[in-house]
Order: sequence, then C-alpha cells, then structure tokens
Amino acid sequence: MKEKIRFLITNLLSTILLVFAIQFFVQSQTNAPEQYKVCAACHTIGEGKLIGPDLKGITEKRDEAWLIDFIRSSQTMIKNGDEEAVKLFDEYKIPMPDNKMTDEEIKEILTFIRNSSKEPVLADKTESQSVVPASSTSETVLEDFMPYQLAKSRLRLNIKFLISILLILLMLIDLIFTRFIKFRIIHIVIILVALTLGVQVVVAKAIGLGRQEGYEPDQPIKFSHKVHVTGNKIDCKYCHSTVEESRYAGIPSTSVCLNCHHVVREGQHTGTTEINKIYEAFESQKPIEWVKVHNLPDHVFFSHAQHVAVGKVDCNHCHGEVENMDRIRQVNSLSMGWCINCHRNTEVQFKSNEYYTSFMKLHDDIKSGKISKVTVDQVGGNNCQACHN
Amino acid sequence: MKDYWKSIDEKNLRIVETKQKEIEPEFSIVGLSSEDVKLRSTRRDFLKICGYTAVSAAILSSCETPVRKAIPYLIQPEEITPGIANYYASTYFDGNDYCSILVKTREGRPIKIEGNELSGISRGGTMPKIQASVLNLYDTARYTDPLIDKAKTSWEQIDSDIKKELNNISTKEGNLIILASTVISPSTKQLFGDFKEKYPGTEIIYYDAVSSSAILSANKLSFDRAVIPEYKFDQAQLIVGFNADFLGTWIMPVEFTKQYSQRRDLTNGETSISRHIQFESIMSLTGSNADERYAIKPSEEAILLLNLYNALAVKINSPTYKVKASSLDVSQLAEELWENKGKSLVVSGTNSIPVQVIVNAINSLLNNYENTIHINHAVLVKQAHDKDVLDVVKRMNDGDVDGLIFYNTNPLYDFPDVENFKNGLSQVGLTISLAETADETSDACKYVCPDNNFLESWNDAEPKEGYFSLAQPAINKLYNTRCAQDSFLSWIDSDSDYYSYIQNYWKENLFNKQDKYPVFRTFWNHCLQNGVLELKEESQAHPDFKLDVTTYFDELVKSHSKATHEGLELIIYETIAIGNGKHANNPWLQELPDAISKVTWDNYVAVSPKYAKAQGIENEDVVIINDQIELPVIVQVGQPEGTIAIAMGYGRTVAGRVAKNIGQNSFGFTEFVDDLRQYSVTNIQLTKTKKTYPLALTQSHHSMEGRGLIREATLSDYLKNPSSGNEEHEKAEEEAVTLYKKPDYKGHHWALAIDLNKCSGCGNCVLACQVENNVAVIGKEEVRNRRIMHWIRIDRYFEGEEDRPAVVHQPVMCQHCDNAPCENVCPVAATSHSDEGLNQMTYNRCIGTRYCMNNCPYRVRRFNWYDYSDSKNFEYNLNNDVEKMALNPDVTVRSRGIVEKCTFCLQRIQEKKLNAKKENRTLKDGEIKTACAQTCPSNAIVFGDLNDKNSQVSKLFKDPRSYHLLEALHTLSSVAYLTKIRNKKNLTV
Repeated sequence: MKEKIRFLITNLLSTILLVFAIQFFVQSQTNAPEQYKVCAACHTIGEGKLIGPDLKGITEKRDEAWLIDFIRSSQTMIKNGDEEAVKLFDEYKIPMPDNKMTDEEIKEILTFIRNSSKEPVLADKTESQSVVPASSTSETVLEDFMPYQLAKSRLRLNIKFLISILLILLMLIDLIFTRFIKFRIIHIVIILVALTLGVQVVVAKAIGLGRQEGYEPDQPIKFSHKVHVTGNKIDCKYCHSTVEESRYAGIPSTSVCLNCHHVVREGQHTGTTEINKIYEAFESQKPIEWVKVHNLPDHVFFSHAQHVAVGKVDCNHCHGEVENMDRIRQVNSLSMGWCINCHRNTEVQFKSNEYYTSFMKLHDDIKSGKISKVTVDQVGGNNCQACHN
Repeated sequence: MKDYWKSIDEKNLRIVETKQKEIEPEFSIVGLSSEDVKLRSTRRDFLKICGYTAVSAAILSSCETPVRKAIPYLIQPEEITPGIANYYASTYFDGNDYCSILVKTREGRPIKIEGNELSGISRGGTMPKIQASVLNLYDTARYTDPLIDKAKTSWEQIDSDIKKELNNISTKEGNLIILASTVISPSTKQLFGDFKEKYPGTEIIYYDAVSSSAILSANKLSFDRAVIPEYKFDQAQLIVGFNADFLGTWIMPVEFTKQYSQRRDLTNGETSISRHIQFESIMSLTGSNADERYAIKPSEEAILLLNLYNALAVKINSPTYKVKASSLDVSQLAEELWENKGKSLVVSGTNSIPVQVIVNAINSLLNNYENTIHINHAVLVKQAHDKDVLDVVKRMNDGDVDGLIFYNTNPLYDFPDVENFKNGLSQVGLTISLAETADETSDACKYVCPDNNFLESWNDAEPKEGYFSLAQPAINKLYNTRCAQDSFLSWIDSDSDYYSYIQNYWKENLFNKQDKYPVFRTFWNHCLQNGVLELKEESQAHPDFKLDVTTYFDELVKSHSKATHEGLELIIYETIAIGNGKHANNPWLQELPDAISKVTWDNYVAVSPKYAKAQGIENEDVVIINDQIELPVIVQVGQPEGTIAIAMGYGRTVAGRVAKNIGQNSFGFTEFVDDLRQYSVTNIQLTKTKKTYPLALTQSHHSMEGRGLIREATLSDYLKNPSSGNEEHEKAEEEAVTLYKKPDYKGHHWALAIDLNKCSGCGNCVLACQVENNVAVIGKEEVRNRRIMHWIRIDRYFEGEEDRPAVVHQPVMCQHCDNAPCENVCPVAATSHSDEGLNQMTYNRCIGTRYCMNNCPYRVRRFNWYDYSDSKNFEYNLNNDVEKMALNPDVTVRSRGIVEKCTFCLQRIQEKKLNAKKENRTLKDGEIKTACAQTCPSNAIVFGDLNDKNSQVSKLFKDPRSYHLLEALHTLSSVAYLTKIRNKKNLTV
C-alpha cells in the first residue's frame, strides 16, 4: 500500500511540475470581450498609442457616462462641442467610428480595460515608443507602430491555476507530514478537484500554443491596406491575382506594385520613404521579404481557389476587415475547430455549380425534403484528408 | 487453388514442422520477479518522470513561433502561377532508352516526369529509369564547373586551351575521335558534321555498352540496311522470344510493353489474346510474362533456331541444312508459327550475326516482314557497331589517336578490358569528357566540360525514322555547366547557340516535309508544345530477304560443336532499374526491387536451384567467379541449370555517394568474339567460400500464406466460362451477409482496378508513386529490417516446377476497404474513412502505435522508423537542399513515428475536383489518374468513380474476372483485380 501511495505521489508531483512548466511558458492571453476586438484595431492598453490613444487608466481619467457616449458616437459629441472630445480629435485627427453597442456591452469593455490597466506590464517597452515623441500628425502615428513580439513570456499566472497548485501542495503536505485532516478521502478528493481545475487551465492554454490570433507583425514596408482598399478602391484580386486559380492567393510581385507606383511616387501618410523601398528593391533585384501573417501548419493544405472561386467566400470572412487595417492583423484563430465550424454551417453552391450534379443522392434528399440545405461537411469538406494530405 | 510460393525457403518450410518456441516474458528487470515489477515504483521511475518533465519544460520554453517570410517574385513570370504545375513536353534519351515525356514543374522546379500521350512511340508510358531521372537533375555528384586536370576553371579558359589543342591536332593532320553512345539527335549529327569540317581529322565513333550490333549487321546482310527494324508486337498473334527481354530492357521497352499489353486486353470484348513463348537463359521480366517459358542455356539458342528454321523450311520446300537435334523439340512450335504465318514475330536479343540472320530468315519464311516487322521504319536508338570501338582501342594503343572526346559514354567502366582501354588512353594527348556526373572516364580525362542535365537543355531526337521529338529546358541551369552541343559549337567558333542551331535544322530539314503549318514559327511552337512531330510514312517497297543462309548455318553449327561446354555459362544482363549503370547513383533506382528476385541495393550471382542444391549453396553465400569477383548468391528459380547470371551496372568506382561500391562490376566478363560483344560467356568457374554477405531482399516480406490472392485461368477455360478461376469470388459474394448497413457514398466512390493480365510487373508504378508521394529511400540496412517504404509493392508468385515456374506479378497498394480493419483499431482516430470511400491517414494525428499495421490484412501500411529527411544516416535524396527540390510540394513529408500508406494520390483527386468546380462542370471519367495508373506502360491500372455507373472502373468491377484480395474477410476493398488469363496450349517441347 505504502509503495502505491509513494508511486502516486511521485507521479503527482512530476505532473504538477510539468503543468507548472507549461503554464510558465505558455504565453497567456487575457480574455478580451468580443467587442473589444474592434477597439484593439486602433488602441492598446498600456502599450502606447496606435491610431488612437492608449486606453490604460482611461476609466479613472474619465467618468463612465462620458465614455459610453464617446464610444457610441464620438462624432456626435464633437459636433455638440464637448470640450474633451474636440481636444482629443484635434490631437489624433482620425475620427473614431460609431459603435452600435448596448450599455452592458460597453460596460463590459470598460471593465476589461480597467482590469487590464491594473495588470503589471512586464513586457519591455520598445525603443520606438520612448524615442518617438507624441506628435499629433497622423504620419507619425503610422510610424509609431510597435513591433509585435510574439514570444514574450509574460508571467501572468492564472489565479485559478495557482490556487489549484497551492491546494495540491497543502493537501500533500498534510497527507504525508502534518495530518490535520483525519480522513484520507478528503485529501484525495480535494487533490483530484484541484488537479482537474489545473489541468483544465493547462489544456486550454496548450491548445492555444502556436496559434497567432492577433498577430500583427511589422512589415518591411509600411504598406497600408486601408489606404489601398478603402482609399484607392483597389480590388483585392488586383494584387492577389491568383486567389481564384491557385492554392495561394499570391503576394504580389514587386512589378505589380510598380504598375501604379511608377506614377504614384508619394504617399499621403509616409511621403516617399516607404514607396522608395519599392524602387530600392527593384533596382537591387532583391525581392521584398514580407512577414507572413496568416500561417498555417505545414501539414495543412488550404486552397484559396476552393474557398473564393468555388465557395464564393468573401475575403473578409477569414481575414477580417482588411480594408480598415493599416497593418495586417490576424483576426481569426485559424484553428481547426474554427475551420470545421464554418464547414458545418456554410452552404455550398450546390445548385449553381454543375460539379455537384454528380451528388445524385443529395439531390434526391433535397427533393424528398429530407434535408433543406447542403453544407460543406456533407460534400466531404470535413474529411481529414481534404486538408491533410 | 494452386499452391503458390514466394521463395524456395517458404516452399520447404511448409514441409518442415516448425517447433513453437517457448515464449519469453516481454519485459524483465534483473533481480525482480514480474509481480514485483508490476507493483513497485522505483527510484528510476521517479528519475524518468523528472527527466520527462524537464525535457518537456525545455521544449515548451523554446516554443516560440518563428517569424515566417513570404517572399514574392520580383517580376513574376507570366506562365507561373504559384501552386499550379506547368507541364513541358520534352524528350528523354540517355543513350539507351528513349521516351517522349512531359515534365511537371512547380514554381520552376521539375518534380515529376509523365509520359507524353501524343507520342506514337511511347504513348504515355514510361519506365523506372525515366521516372527516376528527375532526381538525376538534382544529383549532388554532378559536375558544377569545368575542370582542367581536376582543378576548377572558367569556360573561357577551358575553351581557349581546348581550341589550341584542337588546332594543333588539325595542323599536324592528327586524328581526333569523338566517342559517343548512340546519338539520335539529327541536329547533333549535323553539328558533328560541322565539327568535322572545321577539324578534318575527326571521326565520330558510336559505342554502346549494351550493344545491338549484330542486328544492324544482320539486317545489312539481309536487306542492305544496317538498322534495327520496327517491331510490331501489337500485330503479332504469336510472339516467340529468344533471350530478348523486350518488356524490360531490350531496345524500346516502353513501346513494346504498350504494344504487348494491347494484345493482352480482354476487357474490351476481345476474345483472343496474343500468345507468347519465351526461350531464355535468365529469369527475365519478359519470360515471367510469357504464356510458356523455357529455360535454355545461351549455347543452346542457336541450335534451337536452326532446328526451327529447318522445320519451317520444309513447309515451303526450301532447302534444309544438317544440324543436330536440339534439346527441346521445336516441331510443334514450328507448326504453331506456320499457323500464324504473317501474324507471328520471332525476336532474339543475342549479339551474334549468324543468329540474327537465321532469325531474319525465319521471320521471312513466316512472311512476317511488312506485317509485324518493318525494315523501312528503322529504329535508331542503337547504332553502334562493336568493331568500331575495338578499332579505336587498337589505334590508341598504337599511338594513332591524338585526341579523344567522350560524349555520354563511360568506357573506363563498361568496356570489357578496361586496362587495355586505359593504357591506350594514356597515349592520347588530348582527352575531353563531356560527362554530366563524375564517372570513371571523366576522372581520367584532362578536360572536363560538364554537360547540362537533359532537363536543362535543348535537344531533338529521331528515335525511329519519321518520328521526331524535341527536348526543352524545364529549369534554368543549376550549375556552371554547358550543354555539350554548345561546347562543340564554341569549339568550332560558331556564333550560334544550340537552340538556334536546332531551329535552323528543323527549318531546313523538317519544316518542308509537312504542309499543315505554312509559317515556321507556328510549326515550331506546335512541335514544341506537342513534343513530337510524326511525319507521314513514305511507302517504300519492302526489300526481300534473298540471302543464302548456308554459310551462317555452317558457321553456327561449327562454332557450336567447337565450343567447349565445360564449366558454367555466365550471362551478364541488364536490370530494369540500373541498366548499364549510368544512373546507378540514383537512390530511387537502387531501392527498386528487382522484378523477379526482389533484391535491392546489390547485384548477385543467380544460380539454378538444382545447382545450388548440388553444391550446397544457399542465398547470401559468397562465391568467387573465375577468381575475379566475389558476389553473394541468389538461388533463382527459372535459371537454367548449368548457367549463372550477374547483373551489369553495379560496382561503380567513381560515382556519387549512393552508387559507389555497391555490388561488383560484371562488364569485365563480357568479351569480343568476332568483333561482337558477347554478354554470355562459357567456361566459368564458381568457387564457394565460407563467407556470407547480407542481401536486402523484399522477397518474403509480405507473404500472404497461399490464400486465393492470384487467380488465373487459361484462355480456353475463360472463353467457356468468363469467371473461370474466379469461383471463389462468387462464393465470397454469397457469404457476404452482414447486419451492418452498407456504406453509402453520396458523391464519389473512388476505386482502382488492376488487370493482372496486362500487368507486366516492371515496377514503374512503384517508382512513379515514390516520386509523386515523397516516399523516402531508407537504404539497404533498413530494407533488410523489412521497413521498405514503397506504397506499392509488386508481389511476385511462382507456381509449378522450380526449373520451369509460371510467374505472376501483383501490384498491391492500400485497398481502401470500405470496412477497413485498420480504422477501428486506431486509438487516436488518425485513420478514418472519407465520404468518398478513401481510407484516410492523418499524419499529424498519428502517434505511431502501429495497431493499424498489425490489423491490416494486406500489409500495406508503412511506418517511419526514423526521420528519413535531414538525417546524416540516410544520405539519399532527402537530406540536402538541392535534392529536396525534387519533392512534391502537394504532399507532406512524413516525419518519424508515424504510419503512412497509399492515398489514391489524393492530391491529384483534389486538384481535378477543384478544376471541375472552377470550370462549373462535372468530373469526366478518366480525368483523375493516380500516379501509378498514369504511368503504367501496359495500362493495367484504371482509376475512377464507382458511383459513376458508366465509368471504366465500374465496368471492370462488374467484369466476371474481377475479384478482391482476401474478400472472404468482408473488408469491402476498393481495389479490384482481374484474373490472369494465360494463353496456354502446353506444347510438348
């Protein structure tokens, strides 16, 4: 019996060690409410200015009612001549879009900002932030990009996790040495519960390993999709020309940039500095090394043509509102669960595409009313080897 | 059910009762009883777990997501769409094999070779050497720069040096020889003419390591045309082969296999198939496909043919000649041939003029010319006369040669008397090699002007009169090399490059022979796109055979009686994969099991079972042949008694890391008799040693224990009852009662049908699959450990007597069972069934329990025991950046610890499905072809959709000949086999 217990304890201890190790190194992400993602396009919390001001401590600085009004429609406030609002607009020059949110939703965001502001920011501040003075021109706002550092290990230990570890340790100490609690069953039950909690946290974190939701790296050229898509109304397919033919949407070659930029030699935000990099690349015969934002593991075979040309899926569906992004950011998790959920819910072009006429049995089922629609998973979209071959 | 066996060992094993060994406990810890082990957790356990934790922590801490770059083109080439393959029509000719091909390139890298269906010769077929040739491009043993005395130099330097030497030779009116294997490029031939003009003392000498010199001479004598005639196996009802491995290696195996299989097809409502009788001295692929095969010694062939001639001559009252009776009675054969007059074909691969003349005479008696043989359509792939190279060696030794240029030839490896050649070469002042890869000859040359790989160069070819094809570069040059023809052009101070030279040639010589295209530009583009140009035949009167055969008869009779037949007879033969050894550095070819013996990575001495028994020799025993070379033995059924056989192409001494010192060079045994190279020699002494040498056989890897896997019937039985030999299938269908619902596929249901009657067992599908699916090469040791990774294997079964076996070949790949035994044992659901009937293998989910492998009754799953890529221990084709360019980017490279298997080329299914969707149309039957189906030279494999009732595969599944492997297990496999039908009549010979 004693042997068994010893064995159990050794195993437990090492498992805890492992769990702790994972927890220690997994980059923790605070759970932002869904709506905050819109805010995060322009604001940070304690990481400096982006397009809009840093939101750290904003809940202390302004009162809640003002904030709710401002978030809902800043332009209305400016028109109404709110002093603070006008001052802000003068500083940043870029109007904040209106948000149709309920008070509860806004309050949720504010709570999140409040909590996030309190957390110690261990991430070392990047040079650009301290060097670049706060200036009010939109040009420097763009230059104010903060290099994204993905591999920062932040020591944000989860409370739930810490408690579970503490409990386990306490129970073990009591079980072996102090023996305050008489019945051993209580130890075991508590340990098991604590362990379940701890493992739950770790599993949740471990699943997120390698995912890059929110990834927004600096690019060698400060290329703004917002300027090109929203401003200049260029169609996605002009540059990403192979999106309907091939697996790859295609990063445009330098020569494609030059199609326009041999005329357009000065940008509205960065002047000639960024555009000159195109000419530099072309003259030195060195292609531009973009940083890939949307990465899939090597064993995933994803086809843009299948989704865009055949499935008629909009680019935004996966890539988010690219037209509003200066710097491209991954807005979806691109996890397998995310893919599969969409496959389960999305209807295929069953009647309009001739290819599907060979699915006779499904056509029969529709006719007989057995099914009302055909989703991707019904035509093999969720087969393992549809993506892993 | 016939009793099939895979090896002699297996056959004997069935007789001997095996003793069950006492089973030892699987694990034991010294000093502890098994009870203790179960209970105790030791200090060691603790340390193990701690270690595990520490390592996990360390790994996790390094879990930084790397920054990945996306680097677009600077200027994207118009024809390239990243992710979509381009195909370029081109030509493969290595001095031996010809094939019109399509080169598949991805983002500018050639990754696969397919056959060109527009070619009237190869008709979309390929052979293993051709499939594997894409890796030769990325071979690390290639020369990267021009060399003078083995030191790297520039092209300007080497050109000026060579030109100086060439001019010296011409001014002193010296002799310059260009020694080349057969050149079939008409432009190159013209270029040689220009070269001769500039340097008048130049001679062009062809030298083929595997020569057909006798056929050329015999046809010169018979018809006054020194050519190889066109053979039409598809026109022949009765084919009689004498030592001609026409399905494997002889002259044009791709074309011959296409033709041959066309007449073995019973699926198109045909009720007759051709009949094939083979007399041979090695167990060849062709012999293994024959309806009847007779093992003869090489020395018996001539007498057999003479008797056959006599027996036929009697029929038309031609004079007969005196000859002793042959060991086999040919009178019935003669009768049968006579019945098939004008529809028969007799071929011999023996390099002897009298034998070939007699063969011509027999074909002439049988009225086969103009029916199955056309002398007017000469095949040009072998043009070397053996006498020429002998003259060169003699003149070199006499100091009569001042300069020697080697083009696509390697005599210091494959010449019989290498020492003699070497001595001669040392007296030659100027030696230039145009080799692409380091070889024995280029190693001895002063100047090395490395040629481009054929995938980097322009070229043209005329393999058969009137059939032209073009080769175009599919990739830019990888190294500082130069096309050989460009070297010649620069030495004659020409301004033109070879590309414009070819264009000029075509403009002047071929453009005017057609009337379809009025403008040369369109004509050229058309030819380049198609890869081939086939001109209309000009009808010419067929020359008659008027030769008096008396002298040849006498010569043969005399030489036969004179020859001493003591000792053994040795046959040096070509294998399908390695051939004459030119591509021995290709790991894909080295690991392709021999079609018959299933040996990889070595050559060996094949001895007959009777001889082996008498001498007490077993497999892997090392023997010494004529005190020259030591080789291990394989006891080869079907090997005639009194003969042994050794494959050529092994034992390269100067080659890349793969080929070096694999096997032994057997070219030294060949000899010149009457100025003709003989590949069989007599008076061989075989000495036993006590040593053994391990051979990597795949032979009894996958024994299926004599269940009804191969089903066959004779043609007469088949005509009476189409399901003859396939009675088990009916029984299995009847017994297939199940409580479970039959799988229901809403869209497609992919399936494969394999016609065993057409499959020749050449192994091309194995290689095509390997290239397409990034299947790893694992090396000899691992093959010996039975870990070969090929997704298709070709099972070869023998039946009948040991010395006269019938052979069947059966390609086996994943059967994609609808009721798959592998799927329900996987603990992590890494293998599952798709909605299209595919048995899927999800690599990233597999944890390597190998339960699926254990539960697969077909043994088609493969386990990655190591990381075969990027490993120093597996230096084949996956461990450096250059060779990795041959990988197919659409298929995952599997890592260690996971199971893999045939996917029915899923990437191809996905691609074609997507194309259909993009084009808003349904899939056409035959549009999707798996790599094996596409490349099969005998069209034995058909892929398609079973849910499409009109598809070819659906029809084949309903054929009375169709059956499944182990169908009694109710696995509901998606691969059907069609019974083998033999056209057997049981001659009494």
